[in-house]
Amino acid sequence: MAGSGKARGGMERRGFLKTASAGGAGAALAGCGADTVERLIPYVTAPEEITPGVATWYATVCGECPSACGVRVRTREGRAVMIEGNPDHPVSRGGLCSRGVSALQGLYDPDRVASPLRAAGEGFEPVSWDEAMDMVAQRLGGQGRALFLTGRKGPAEAELLNRFVEAVGGLRLILDPLDDVALRAAADVAFGVKALPRYDMAAARHLVSFGADFLETWVSPSGFSADFATLHGVDHGEKGRFVFVGPRLSLTGLNADEWIPAKAGSEADVALALAGELVRNHRADAGPYSGLVEGRTLAGAAQAAGVPEDRLAELAELFAEGDVLALGPGLAGHHGAATAANLAVLVLNVAAGNLGRALHVPSAPDSEAASPRRDVARAVEQMGAGGFDVAVVAGANPVYALPPATGFEAAFDRASFKIAFASALDETAAKADLVLPDAHALESWGDSEPAAGAYAVRQPVMRPVPLFDSRAMADVLIDAGRRLGHDLGAESARDFVRQAADARLDDLGVGGADRETRWRRLLRKGAAPATEAAGPAGPGTGDATALRPPAMAVDFEAPSLEGPGDLALLVHPSPRFGDGTHANRPWLQELPDPVSKIMWHSWLEMHPATAERLGIRREGEVVRVASPHDALELPVWFHPGIREDAVAIPMGGGHDNYGRFANGHGVNPQRLLPDAEDATSGARSVVSVRVEVTPTGAWRRLASTEGTRDVHHHQDERNIALAVALSSMGHGEGDEDHADEGGHGQLQELQQGGGFVPVPTEGKAADFPLPGSDFGEYGEPHPRWAMAVDLDRCTGCSACVTACQAENNIPWVEEREVLNGREMHWLRIERYYETVDAADGGELDVRFLPMMCQHCNNAPCEPVCPVFAAYHTPDGLNAQAYNRCVGTRYCANNCPYKVRVFNWYRYASENIPEPMNWQFNPDVTVRDNGVMEKCTFCVQRIRDAGNRAALEGREVRDGEVRTACQSVCGSDAITFGNIKDPESTVAAMAADERAYRVLDALINTQPAVHYLKKAVFHEVDEGAH
Amino acid sequence: MIRKSLFAGGGLVAVLVAAAVLAARPATQAQDVADASGDEPSQPIQFRHDLHAGQFRIDCQYCHFSAERSVDAGIPPVETCIGCHREGLVAGRTVPDEVAKVREHFESGTPIPWRRIYKVSDHVKFPHMRHVAAGVTCQTCHGEVQEMGVLEEVAPEAGGLKMGWCVSCHLERGASRDCTVCHY
Repeated sequence: MAGSGKARGGMERRGFLKTASAGGAGAALAGCGADTVERLIPYVTAPEEITPGVATWYATVCGECPSACGVRVRTREGRAVMIEGNPDHPVSRGGLCSRGVSALQGLYDPDRVASPLRAAGEGFEPVSWDEAMDMVAQRLGGQGRALFLTGRKGPAEAELLNRFVEAVGGLRLILDPLDDVALRAAADVAFGVKALPRYDMAAARHLVSFGADFLETWVSPSGFSADFATLHGVDHGEKGRFVFVGPRLSLTGLNADEWIPAKAGSEADVALALAGELVRNHRADAGPYSGLVEGRTLAGAAQAAGVPEDRLAELAELFAEGDVLALGPGLAGHHGAATAANLAVLVLNVAAGNLGRALHVPSAPDSEAASPRRDVARAVEQMGAGGFDVAVVAGANPVYALPPATGFEAAFDRASFKIAFASALDETAAKADLVLPDAHALESWGDSEPAAGAYAVRQPVMRPVPLFDSRAMADVLIDAGRRLGHDLGAESARDFVRQAADARLDDLGVGGADRETRWRRLLRKGAAPATEAAGPAGPGTGDATALRPPAMAVDFEAPSLEGPGDLALLVHPSPRFGDGTHANRPWLQELPDPVSKIMWHSWLEMHPATAERLGIRREGEVVRVASPHDALELPVWFHPGIREDAVAIPMGGGHDNYGRFANGHGVNPQRLLPDAEDATSGARSVVSVRVEVTPTGAWRRLASTEGTRDVHHHQDERNIALAVALSSMGHGEGDEDHADEGGHGQLQELQQGGGFVPVPTEGKAADFPLPGSDFGEYGEPHPRWAMAVDLDRCTGCSACVTACQAENNIPWVEEREVLNGREMHWLRIERYYETVDAADGGELDVRFLPMMCQHCNNAPCEPVCPVFAAYHTPDGLNAQAYNRCVGTRYCANNCPYKVRVFNWYRYASENIPEPMNWQFNPDVTVRDNGVMEKCTFCVQRIRDAGNRAALEGREVRDGEVRTACQSVCGSDAITFGNIKDPESTVAAMAADERAYRVLDALINTQPAVHYLKKAVFHEVDEGAH
Repeated sequence: MIRKSLFAGGGLVAVLVAAAVLAARPATQAQDVADASGDEPSQPIQFRHDLHAGQFRIDCQYCHFSAERSVDAGIPPVETCIGCHREGLVAGRTVPDEVAKVREHFESGTPIPWRRIYKVSDHVKFPHMRHVAAGVTCQTCHGEVQEMGVLEEVAPEAGGLKMGWCVSCHLERGASRDCTVCHY
């Protein structure tokens, strides 16, 4: 099969696309036993791009959500094994979230549909593509109307889809529960352009979010992470202030310096009052809204929001200082007055002088925007009445993602023929009459417009996984068009994208020797122009200069919530699953939620005081949450960062027909929601009901890492995640602050007590190996690998955790084993609440700390290993020789950081189904049971760089080795390098006045990981930091 | 898997491609599809290293093309064989059966399912390119291949291609003996 020599669809890089089948053959024949005969399957014709054993990288675009971040995918022998951020991408700039990394598990998802399926009786029967296409052509060629329900697509795919829908005389609606419909509508009212504004944080000094979770799911989280790090990261003793206004601290909220716990639905009151202050006292101009805002007082807003007036007065002062950008409210403001809330924040931005500086309004409306609820409701009604003969669903799962109150499921059943383009058989596809297996984004062509004036292409990085006979939707549409006699303008999806790219690059004035060269450069870089040319506010922004008088009356009254209960229900997108699309990814299921640290199941977020009032005594008590529409039972988790009059449930749980990793885990909060909308924009209401919460008397243990592995709510007196007051920075020499690194007196004492060789040392990472222990190779010059983690930039997003898992073949252990405390992450994000006040708000201090093996130079794990499996390498790594390990687990017992994990069962070999194991990194040993493992500083990457450097006769360059965690970090919090090289970035970071090493002062471990203290606005108690 | 490979007679040095891919396979996948007979299987094509590398003095890396730049030495694609064994390349010569088989594979586009002779355990990384660059000859680990009619695994005097043998060579040559040079 590798030698067919024919690639499908006239693909140009024939050789490359051929390779996956060779890989597949290898997989089928792979064996390790010494007793069996193993086969080696060569290529028939070798693809030029591939050298066996050498990775080939492709730049492409992530297809996991509409933000379409730039990625680089590492392939080995034609198979994608790792995905990282693309630093050349103008928006995401090298960052990638956990969902993006998990694209690999979507690609190799064992629950993908293996062939076209036709409904037969209760189930499905496989049919050939030819038969399936005949059915498509026959159904869409009839006289009846067709309804297309699709996700938001890139420009080329959208254009193709629109052409097709028009040709067959159908109606297309766009479903995307996370799209900010209300913001677009508000921009229309304010500026006359129905488009999401572009925010340029670089042009702002301070930031206020009215609930928008811009570091998680809102608009473009990776891009915002990079922006936020620049705005909020300390630089020369200064940093921007971030204030979060809203009833619940999401992960984004936890990163704030100050919290104003305003009631759900009070965003407009607060924003208008702040604008009023600016207009009244600071001669700001709110255009046609000046009169309106002048009548708004802080006192009135404070009362509406249920917060002390002082807090709002402080915030007003911040705005008066200038350069404060307001964001949101995002999905947290999708209630009955969503447009008003968004409009109020835009008015505030204009009054604050951001228009044309930090806030830009595109000149053209967004072409791919989620349809308003009322359009969907009308179509559902028509479908229920038999108004559509054919319903086509592509890239959407409305049966799961729409509230049952919409009646979608019943209406969908009434469409006479239902076609689903689906990767896996989800809740909606399961009801279809014909299922067409959709190619994964990493296997298909597409494009995106990440920012005004920028363009990016999504190219397949490998031939479609051979186990699944999938086709890209675009190719299917072109084929269907051909059968129906409609010319869609291209022979294949690739041709279509190529044409679109040529046209777009011409528009952008991107030069090149010729179109072919330009196209190849685009494929190589992944985006044009690359980062250096255009920022988020490049050419193409229309930049409205003033607010327009509202064309319609907007009611700024706070929305009312439906239902008899006394607790507002905050349904919010999950940073792990989004709206639930990503729930069938075991990496994400087992990723501790960045806020709650819970895995595998849903929880009800509740303030401890609320729990006390309701008679709920401990976390994990199962409660019944009842809205007027339904009731759910789920365990309670105490969150100090939520108002006492609200509770929250994340989206994404409660799948019952999606895949083996999603089904039966958690609950779907959509069931509690009404079919309601904001009257102005038609945005579907997400925050719209009150609920009654009653204990059921049952209890379950939360599958959480918190409290099980040293992640306490509070740090007690251990001083793990430290902070430094901005006011105390920049005084004295940097080294003075290193007092807490000390403890060398103690080291000497230990040594004199025996066991250690007494040596004089300053204890700096670069000083090791110590004189006296420099035998053999240890006496030779070696680099000293070290890491620096800037806690001031880390947002706790946890993308690094998933990247580490992908790179290092770390298995998941599933919920039961998590409950046994056997999760195997090599890297975890610890979250510490220092100061959180849900009643009065004010100063907020929550710290995140990525904890991985510290590669101690004085490592407690090493001397206790009876078989020398844990030892120190000459280049400073705390190594674990798996083949030596006999599993005594002494090392884990003796590790003060609790970063060593033990493989209790054959998690890697038995839990990971075919073909998900195709993702395994061939450069890393797959560990079996009975072996201790932990972070290796990505030693395979160090060795690879070392090999390359040796062949080229040079030293490894600074920055050449990038660890997996580093390679997805959107805020650039992680630095890695040779600390012995005084020119290296990591050495500079380690010498920073904020640098410290965790627990070093207490126990003299001399870690190679340096943390840089978080810089905070408030004073820090020196004793406790 | 680790144990199994360690104690069940693994530890041989791989010469052929796909070692890295295979290295990451879990033990449960260890199935061989061919040779159900249980007999000592032979190669599907009686390729003679003694003719190619010996008599005709073709450089090892002409076929094992990535040894110089990759961890894997590379097994030649069928196309490489055909490059020389084209129809009419040597006028008037009859085509030996084995070459006819190669042509069949090429024409039908099916790869040749070579039997694997050398393989290191899954937890061992053997970067060919570093060894080639250091001037270690292929014969050091693979024996006098240019004299072998049938390729066989060579067990050097030190008790086979085991870790002790690797380490002794590293010692002699002053190469690193650090565990993580090979194990990670």
